Amino acid sequence: MTEPSKTLLMVGNPNVGKSALFNRLTGGDAVVSNYPGTTVDYTKGLLVVSGREYGVIDAPGTYSLEARDAAESVTVRLISENPGAAVLVILDATRVERGLYLALEVIERGRPAVIALNMIDAARDRRIVVDTHMLQKILGVPVVPTSAVTGEGVRDLAEMIRKAQKADIEKVRARADGRFNEPERSGGCAGCGLCGGC
Amino acid sequence: MALPVQERWDLVDAIARKTVTAGIYRQNLGDVLGDLTVRPLTGIAVAVAVLYAFWSIFSSFAGTLVTDGFMVKAFDDYWLPWLQEVWPDPASIHYFLFVGDPLAENCFEAFGMLTSGLFVSIGVVLPAVLIFYLMMTILEDSGYLPRLAVLMDTVFHRIGLHGYAIVPTILGLGCNVPAVTATRVLETRKQRFIMMTLLAIFIPCGAQLGVMLEVIPDAVGWVMLFLLFGFGIFGFVLDRIIPGSNPEILIDVPPYHWPLWKNVAKKLVNRTKSFLKDAVPFVLFGVLAVNVLYLAGVIGALADLFEPLFVTWFGVPKETVGPLIAAFLRKDLAVAQLSAIAMTPYQMITAVVLVSIYFPCVATFVVMLREGWKELAAAVAVLAATVFVYGGLIHAVGILMGVA
Repeated sequence: MTEPSKTLLMVGNPNVGKSALFNRLTGGDAVVSNYPGTTVDYTKGLLVVSGREYGVIDAPGTYSLEARDAAESVTVRLISENPGAAVLVILDATRVERGLYLALEVIERGRPAVIALNMIDAARDRRIVVDTHMLQKILGVPVVPTSAVTGEGVRDLAEMIRKAQKADIEKVRARADGRFNEPERSGGCAGCGLCGGC
Repeated sequence: MALPVQERWDLVDAIARKTVTAGIYRQNLGDVLGDLTVRPLTGIAVAVAVLYAFWSIFSSFAGTLVTDGFMVKAFDDYWLPWLQEVWPDPASIHYFLFVGDPLAENCFEAFGMLTSGLFVSIGVVLPAVLIFYLMMTILEDSGYLPRLAVLMDTVFHRIGLHGYAIVPTILGLGCNVPAVTATRVLETRKQRFIMMTLLAIFIPCGAQLGVMLEVIPDAVGWVMLFLLFGFGIFGFVLDRIIPGSNPEILIDVPPYHWPLWKNVAKKLVNRTKSFLKDAVPFVLFGVLAVNVLYLAGVIGALADLFEPLFVTWFGVPKETVGPLIAAFLRKDLAVAQLSAIAMTPYQMITAVVLVSIYFPCVATFVVMLREGWKELAAAVAVLAATVFVYGGLIHAVGILMGVA
């Protein structure tokens, strides 16, 4: 039995491998090239993982959610047209900062997100180490290292999609400052407001 | 809730400091090559070499090896004579429509749906498109295109565009349809309009290039030169008369990597499939439509009507009206059709240039419409003016050179 299908929107900076990952996840035919701006329109595909069905949308690459050109506005439009969608933010592991900006924008909009740290193989070649666990802890959303070229991590990513999380940007900020002691899901907190933290 | 931009960047920095560590990195060969191919001094030499290699492989593989070496023989020595022999009743209408001229000795002249139509689409254009896409895929997948964009930036700024316009331009040399959509990478409406108009007018597609190589091998260079000049001249003019801005951009240059053969193969298969599915029926249908119009006397009437314009202003025979009608369906077909008309070499160059710059083919027309009907209407107006002015200009150049 499959549950009613959900939408998964793939966003990320241009040329981070969204379409390649999309093809890996859905067996699709999106055109993949090594230049920013290959995808200027969206492609849809289907992903079935552990009994759940996702309508996956491969959106054109964008540097931020403030569209700069017609291709980027397609992505911005897709995000607002799919309010119920989980968002898979794809980061280039060799250029994490740039992708994080977009990831934060997605989180700020209150979307359930999963992050794929793509091109992890290229990052290793370049001696760049990303602390995935720390990143996951700070952001409060799942982070999965992947390589769309070799297929590494793609299965883990597919499994992780159902764990897409919303995160509170203020808490992200606190955790980025090293304050992890927020009683986030302590179970005892009923939102009374007395602790001042929740 | 949303953060102000600066705070968001601060947060990005804070997170990155805690999660990303970069070790010592040694430059590899790819990085060195990457540098050399964007520096003007070495980069321009490399660009010329790459484009020259592209062209010579394209023409020797598609034109000389496959088409001349194999397809022409197969079609002219076996297919055509066989069809002419077995198809009943050479004087009938169906013979004219499907086989064409019963006395024709080659598949260009016969101009039946099953002779010229099949020969042009499968014999000439298919190999051309295949090799073109193979090389284009390598350019796309290696990471060379953004570097070419950096190099071309200054040039493109003179015509109201920036370096990234090289992407739609090169895609357009394969097929104008994806190229029109690719103009979405440009930021302003002005840029997109200029790019789309120039694409529709001056960039011949791979199919057309393939046929040009076959029917006018000696004059292809001239045609390309006229198109290139036109691209520059009209881009320059459009930049001056169209309001809007042309911002500078930061081009994101990815590292080089080897194209993955699986990806190359996949793209080739998909592009070839869509060629067989979308283009071949159009070529066949185009031949049929032209033949029907010819039989109905429409082409003859139009030829008489436009005779003054064609003969006096453009300096080409009035029969070229027929190919111009076919050009709306498929440009490759139109060029093939031109080859059967008796003309001087210079008239042929003029006529091929006219076929190129005149109306975009119907598929391109449809995607342009999808990107915006106002832009399309304006592009068509520019196009009409361009055909008139540039066609006359080429004629004038011919007169000055004493060849027209």
